[in-house]
Amino acid sequence: MPADPRHTSPTTSPAHDRVVATGTAHERAAGSADAESSGMAHVRARAGGPLTLAAGEAAPAGMARLGRGDGTGLALPVWPDGATPSLLEEYQVAPVAVERSGETRRVLAAALRCCWTDLASDPWPGTPARVDDVLSAYRALIGRGDDLMRNWAVGALRRLHDSAWLEVADGLVRLGPRCASWPAASHAQLRELMRRLPTGEEVPGGLEVLPVAEPLDDAEAGAAVTIPEEVDEDLLGPFDERRRAEVVAAFMAVEHAAEPVHEARFPALRDPVLRRTLAEMLERRGRVLIHDRDAWISGYAPETLTGTRTGTGTGTGAGSGAGTGSGSALGESERAVLVLVLIHSVAIPRADGLLPADSWLSPFPAQVDELRRHTRLPIGELDAALRTLRHAGLVTQVKAGEEAGGYVPGPQFHRLTPQARRHLQEELILAAGPHTPLAAAVRANRR
Amino acid sequence: MPETNHEITLDSALTEEAVLSTYRRMFAALARDSGAVVDDPALVDIAETLFAAFAEAGEEWLTHEQMRHVCRAYPLDRFENRLRVLRGLGAIREVFPKPNQLRYRASFTSVVGLMFIRRMMDDGGQSEMHRLLALEDLNVADPRTTMEEARASAQNLSRAFRLWALELITLTGGTIEELREQAPKLWGTEEIARRAQSLHGTILTRWPDLDRTCTELRAAIYSYSDASRRAAGRLADSAGTTRNLTLLPAETWRTFAQTASKERLASVLDGFVFDAPAPWHDPAAIVRAVDESPRPAPAQPTPPRSALPDPGTADTHDPGTGGLDHLAAVAEAALAGRSTARLEELLTADGEWVSARRLLADLVSADLRPDSPYRLRWSDGLTADPGGEPAWLSHGHLERTGGAG
Repeated sequence: MPADPRHTSPTTSPAHDRVVATGTAHERAAGSADAESSGMAHVRARAGGPLTLAAGEAAPAGMARLGRGDGTGLALPVWPDGATPSLLEEYQVAPVAVERSGETRRVLAAALRCCWTDLASDPWPGTPARVDDVLSAYRALIGRGDDLMRNWAVGALRRLHDSAWLEVADGLVRLGPRCASWPAASHAQLRELMRRLPTGEEVPGGLEVLPVAEPLDDAEAGAAVTIPEEVDEDLLGPFDERRRAEVVAAFMAVEHAAEPVHEARFPALRDPVLRRTLAEMLERRGRVLIHDRDAWISGYAPETLTGTRTGTGTGTGAGSGAGTGSGSALGESERAVLVLVLIHSVAIPRADGLLPADSWLSPFPAQVDELRRHTRLPIGELDAALRTLRHAGLVTQVKAGEEAGGYVPGPQFHRLTPQARRHLQEELILAAGPHTPLAAAVRANRR
Repeated sequence: MPETNHEITLDSALTEEAVLSTYRRMFAALARDSGAVVDDPALVDIAETLFAAFAEAGEEWLTHEQMRHVCRAYPLDRFENRLRVLRGLGAIREVFPKPNQLRYRASFTSVVGLMFIRRMMDDGGQSEMHRLLALEDLNVADPRTTMEEARASAQNLSRAFRLWALELITLTGGTIEELREQAPKLWGTEEIARRAQSLHGTILTRWPDLDRTCTELRAAIYSYSDASRRAAGRLADSAGTTRNLTLLPAETWRTFAQTASKERLASVLDGFVFDAPAPWHDPAAIVRAVDESPRPAPAQPTPPRSALPDPGTADTHDPGTGGLDHLAAVAEAALAGRSTARLEELLTADGEWVSARRLLADLVSADLRPDSPYRLRWSDGLTADPGGEPAWLSHGHLERTGGAG
C-alpha cells in the first residue's frame, strides 16, 4: 500500500514493493526556497542519519522515502545514477575505514538472515528478530560461541545501530533504513548468501519473553520504498554518457573518500566545466568543494552551518534533529572529548612550535593516560565518547607499543572548510584564554 | 650548566640573542657605553651561582677560593672576569674595606635586581606592571601620601604605558613573524588596563587638582589598550586557520584541558556540524566478509561412526563364528561332497580370474582358521598358460580334515 497520498500516482511493480515516483519535475519547479530547505534536509541527514517523516509527508528532493505501514516514513539521500560508495573501489580511492569491517559485516549478514524472512521481497523493512536469535545465527556463521565472540558481536550491533544499518531496541533487531539503499540489482547476491547461511540453532524457550514483536509485524506490512526516478537529471542531462559518469564518480569520491582525492584521477575535478556541475550538485545538498593544492574533498557549506546554528529544528519539519534517534549527533561528552583531543594533539604541539602545517590534522596523539588522569571527565564517559568519535571518523586511534599511543583528529577534519577551521581556532582561543587581547580581537571581529 | 658545553644550534643562538637583548634594554639607562652589558648569558648564571652561594654561606661569607669552588663549572678566566666586574660595581664587596681582605660579602640590592631581571625575562614585564599597579594603588590610598607623590606616580605610569603602546604599535606595523614572537610578551591583559583605570580613578577622586596629569594617564592607558587590540587583531587576521593557537602558551592550553568542565569544553564545538557515521556495507563486501570468516578448525575431528545402532560392550568373550559359516559353505560347495578336490580344477572352473580370486581368498581364509576343518595342501606342480586366465597356477588340494561336514 503506497504510504503517501500526496505523492503523484505511484506504480507498484509486482515483484518488489518498490515504487517509482514520477514527481521529480514538480519537485524541480518548486522554487529556490524549497531547494534551500531540501539542502538543509540533506545536511541534517548527513549529520544525523536518516530523517523521520510525518505521516503523508513527502521526502525532500533527492531523497528516497521509506514509507512505513502507518504512513510515517524515513528519508534517505539517493545517489545520482544509482551509484553507491563502492564506486570508490574502481578508482582505488579509500573510503572512510569501517571499524572491524569483517566482523561488522558478518553480524549484518546474521541480522539479515534473521530479519529478511521473505526472500521474494526487498530486504527492507523485513521483520524484527530477537537479538539472541541474531547472535546465535552469528555463532552458527563463524562456528564459535565464546564470550569474547559475543562481546564483539554486541559491539558490532551497536555500531550498526549507530550508523542506521540496524535498529536495535528492546532486545529486538530490525533492519535499518540504510539497508534500503542497496541497489535492487545487488539483492540477488544477498539472497544467494542468505540461502547458504546456516540458521542459529534453536534456543529452547524464551520466545514468550518478548511479546512486543507481534504488533510491530503489522506495522511493517504496508511498508514501501519510494525512490525518486531521477536525481540531478537537470544538471547531468546535458552531458554525454562518459562525462556524466565522470561527474558522478567525482561526486561519489569527494563525498565518501576518507581523504582529499587527487584531481589527476578524476577528470571532473580537473575540468572547470564539469567541476562547476559537480559544485552545483553538492550545493543542492548543502555542501561545497574544499581544495588543497591538487586534492579535493567536500564539506558543509558555511551558510548551511550558520543555518543549523541559528535555526536547528525550525526547518521544514522534516524530522528535526537526529533522524531515527540513532544517536549519531554528537552529545556533550563526545564534543568535550573531541575538544580535549584537539587541544593535546593540535593546540599544544602548535604552541610548542612543533606543528608546521596549517591544518587541524596532527601526528601528535593525545595520550589516553593524559585524558584519563588529567581531565575532569569520568573515565567511563571518556571511553564511551572516544568509541563514538572513533566510529564517526572524528578521531583516529594511534597505537605505539604496548602502553603508548593515543588519539589524533580523524579524517573528518579534512572536511572542514577554511571558514570552519578558522572558526574552530577562534572558539578554542575564546574558551581557553577568554581574557587575552587575542580573544578580545576575535570578539571585536565578529561584531 | 655552562653554555659552552651545548652544541650551538641556530635555535639556541636565537634564544641567547633574545636574552641578551633584554639585558641590554634593561640596563641601557645605566650603562656607560653600548658594550657594557654582558655578551654571554652564562655570565649572568655565574653571578647567580655566586649569590646563591653567598646566601648559604651565612655570616662567614666567602673566600676567593670558596667562590672559585662554587663556580668550578665555569672556565677560570670567565669567573675572574665576572668577579672583577661584580666587585667593581659593588655587587660583591670585601667584608671590611682594608687591603689583603680575604672574605667577601654580597649586596642585597644586586640579588633583588637579579630576581627582577629573571622575572622580566619571562613575561616582558607584565607581572612587574601588575605588581607596580597594585603597589601604587596601595600608595595612593595611604593617607600619608602627598599630592606630589601621587602626581609623580601617575606621570611615571603614563610614561610607561605610552612607551609600551608605542612599541606595540611599531611591532604591529612590522613583520608578522616578529609580531607573533614579541606581541604576547608586550600586550597587556584586560586586567592590567582595568587596574590602571582604577588607580587613575582613585587619584582623581582624592586630588581633583591632578586632573591634567590624570587625563594624560587615561590617554596613555587607552592608547595602550588600543595598541594591544590592534596587534591582536592583525595577528588574528593573518594567522591562517590554526596558527594563532601559538599565541596562547602551552601551559594555558594544558590548564584549560585539565580544569575546564565538560560543559565548557563541549561549548567550543557548539554549532559545528560533523558527519554521522555512515560506513557503506556493499553486498559484495558482506558476501566477502562471510566467505573470509575465520573458521577455527575443531581441535579433534570426531571419528566416523556407523549408522547402525550400537548394542554397547558385550558381557562375555565370545569367539563367535563370524564368517565361518560362509567359509564352510564355500568350501563344501567346492568339495561338492568329495573329501578332497584339486585346486587347479576349482580355480579354472569359471575361466575368470575375478571369481577365481574370490574363491581362492575364501579358501585361504578357511585354511588359516584353526577352528575350520578345511586345509589347503600345496604341491610342486605348476601350470602355465599364457593365453588363459589365470595365466599360471600352483597345483594343490583342498581337503576336509577331522569329522566335520
